[in-house]
Amino acid sequence: MIGQRWAARLHLPTLAVAAAVLAVWTLASWRYGAYILPSPLSVLWGFGQILASGEIWVHTGASLYRILVGFGGALAAAILLGLAAFLWRAARAVVRDLLAVLNSTSVFVWIVIAIIWFGISNWAPIFTTFMITLPVVASNVMEGVENVDRRLLEMGDAYRLGGAEKFRAIVVPSTLPYLTAGMKVGFGLALKVSVVAEIFGVTSGIGYIMNYSREILATQMVFVWALVMILVMMATDKLVFDAISRRTERWR
Amino acid sequence: MEAGEFVCLLGPNGCGKTTLLRIIGGLEPATRGAVSLDGEPIVAGRAQQHKVGVVFQEDRLLPWLTLRDNVTLVLKPLGLSHGDRLAVASRYLGLCGLRGFEDYYPGRVSGGMRQRAAIARALSIEPDVLLMDEPFGALDAQNRRIMQTEVRRIWQATGRTILFVTHSIEEAVAIGTTLVMLSARPARIRELIRNDGRVERAKLVDDLNTMIMEEVERQQGGAPPG
Repeated sequence: MIGQRWAARLHLPTLAVAAAVLAVWTLASWRYGAYILPSPLSVLWGFGQILASGEIWVHTGASLYRILVGFGGALAAAILLGLAAFLWRAARAVVRDLLAVLNSTSVFVWIVIAIIWFGISNWAPIFTTFMITLPVVASNVMEGVENVDRRLLEMGDAYRLGGAEKFRAIVVPSTLPYLTAGMKVGFGLALKVSVVAEIFGVTSGIGYIMNYSREILATQMVFVWALVMILVMMATDKLVFDAISRRTERWR
Repeated sequence: MEAGEFVCLLGPNGCGKTTLLRIIGGLEPATRGAVSLDGEPIVAGRAQQHKVGVVFQEDRLLPWLTLRDNVTLVLKPLGLSHGDRLAVASRYLGLCGLRGFEDYYPGRVSGGMRQRAAIARALSIEPDVLLMDEPFGALDAQNRRIMQTEVRRIWQATGRTILFVTHSIEEAVAIGTTLVMLSARPARIRELIRNDGRVERAKLVDDLNTMIMEEVERQQGGAPPG
């Protein structure tokens, strides 16, 4: 029993599979050479290098800054759209249609337009991140707004609560779980999208340095930065979003 | 309806008991006629001088607030200070038998306790009239009995005027001082009975049952079978 619990906590089966993958990876890297498939050891060595030189913080910081601005803007816009949809019935239909259009637009469309509009600047990846994450977060907020329990609002009317009080005590708490779910998905998307946008418009960030590493034939660094991306994603998930969920869902 | 009375509203399903309560509560406009409390007309959506407490069929507590915060929330429009709100909430939660559970979230207590909290919330604004719309409909038979006794006790302790809608004749006879039987649509008052113990309860239940069957048949438009 106790042995099994520890096995689950340490993800022992996953570790076993990972060890097997590493073994196959090492063999394959001998067979195909470091340019096609660098060995796990060289990736680990490269990771140590960027950690020692501080390069990891420069590029991760640049990427995170763009994500925070683009995603933060999308979050603010999504909340405003949700508020409008809550206050006016007509706005609800408009927002729904707008989100349907945005949802159907490819990342590449925004990247190309961003380069035309903003050229080589921070604003190209920021704009792309904003346009891609907005519909994801806003759809969730809209769902939350539409699922506010009418019976609770009626209770507020019966006790003569003012509009602001009803909004603060009833609408916001019931929309919050939808908002955090949207933020979680939206942030993951933001990280993936902004990195792609960085290939084109800028001279810093994880996307830029990955593409640069490919150009100078340092394939092991492509793998190193991919590893950095995965670590950033997992860390924000565990540290930021789990903490937010714990706080907002205390009452469950 | 007089101050301090415990009125039970009975009638066939769909005759408009709930709607009448909603009109009195100011949640729905009346299509015709007017409701007045001490001479002041009640208009849906307008601020009232008189306070009306409502207990719905479901508890309608906010799940993200503790029982105490659910009560203090409705005290805010009354302009009480934070300290007063807490004191009032504690008093009425205690009166409804929830002492020690003030800081629990609704999801952590039983259905009966949630309904008690809803009653505490309605009483806390010290309403001129307390409206209760089948408040125990969602409870099991045992909890129902306990809550009926509790409401009767709370009514005696607070002296509030209560208008109680129910479809259970036994419930009405057990707790009301005045029983009002509505007729089938269009609803009129068919019978107004003082439940002061002068008529034997079992006979009262029988009589009311006969009346409600007649009304149900009338509503369905058919002649009484036989």
